Amino acid sequence: MNKPITDQQLQQQIDGLQQDIQPSRDLWAGIELAIEHQHQSAEPKKTTFAPYAWAASVMAAVLLTWMVNKPMQNQQIQLTAVEVIKQQYQTEKNTMLVSFGKPDISKLPEKMQKQFTELQSARESLLMALEDDPENPDLLNLLKWTQSQELSLLEQLYSPKWQTI
Amino acid sequence: MSRQSSVINAEDVFANKQEQEWIANAKQGDRSAFNHLYTLHIGRVYALCLRMLSNKEQAEDVSQEVFVQVWLKLEKFRGESKFSTWLHSVATNTVLSHIRKQKNWVQKVFSIEDKPLAEPVGNEIQDLSDMDKHIMRLPEKARLVFVLFAVEGYRHEEIAAKLNIAVGSSKSQFHRARNLLKEWLQHE
Repeated sequence: MNKPITDQQLQQQIDGLQQDIQPSRDLWAGIELAIEHQHQSAEPKKTTFAPYAWAASVMAAVLLTWMVNKPMQNQQIQLTAVEVIKQQYQTEKNTMLVSFGKPDISKLPEKMQKQFTELQSARESLLMALEDDPENPDLLNLLKWTQSQELSLLEQLYSPKWQTI
Repeated sequence: MSRQSSVINAEDVFANKQEQEWIANAKQGDRSAFNHLYTLHIGRVYALCLRMLSNKEQAEDVSQEVFVQVWLKLEKFRGESKFSTWLHSVATNTVLSHIRKQKNWVQKVFSIEDKPLAEPVGNEIQDLSDMDKHIMRLPEKARLVFVLFAVEGYRHEEIAAKLNIAVGSSKSQFHRARNLLKEWLQHE
């Protein structure tokens, strides 16, 4: 059996790591294409999507924080918190649809389509579970997270394809 | 000796001045200047991406994304820190964001424990050191903490904030990485 490696020997190996590793292919062409694409699409995106999306997100986040943190006095208020999360999702989704048009899920890679379906099903299950246990903060947080993942996947439909270059 | 060091300093000053010029021109939209910055820094950025992602193709894609992000954010770079420091911060955040997006909701919600890869990886990459191959074989969390702490020089507090974990977890993942690396190096 070999002699155990000391901390000092390990540190020597770390210090000996090369600072630069060159990629096997030229990445510049893809970067330049993406920059060009961003340049062409940046302005309309900034003027149409960002202000509404930000305003909607901030309003929903403030409302949600208030709903979740406020001591719950009756079930009616908790149900409203679920409604707020659902509303936030719907608002953001609608803003995306208005800005970019209806998404074609079939354009996503197969793996993402599967994730999208899983997320939708998870969201439905969470909403059902919240009907039975509307005061469960874990479920509320999970619902919020699941919706944000769905939106993030939807957003990727509009991402430039430069990554595959 | 002092003469030699003054020559080296002069070279450094010139290189720094040249880089500042490229940054200023790139801010004005000069892609040729940005290409010089890319050429100067791609090796370091790719090394970071490769070590953190442990995947050649993903590391290439994310390196591209890093430079696109840099181009978009270049106006915000005011020169308070070194350009390379700022660039590495953008690179680290881009890699972590990529990792988060890659995980499906099951992995994220249930935080499935990651295991080391059975065999060394990175054999297809030319001139990769054995140590790098071992690093790329580490379990994901241990690898991220190890690269950020030991290679990139971040503090555990910074790593904990970036990875959204406790400082203690960062330290224990680093300890785990070190032990695995020692074990693998010992059996070489």
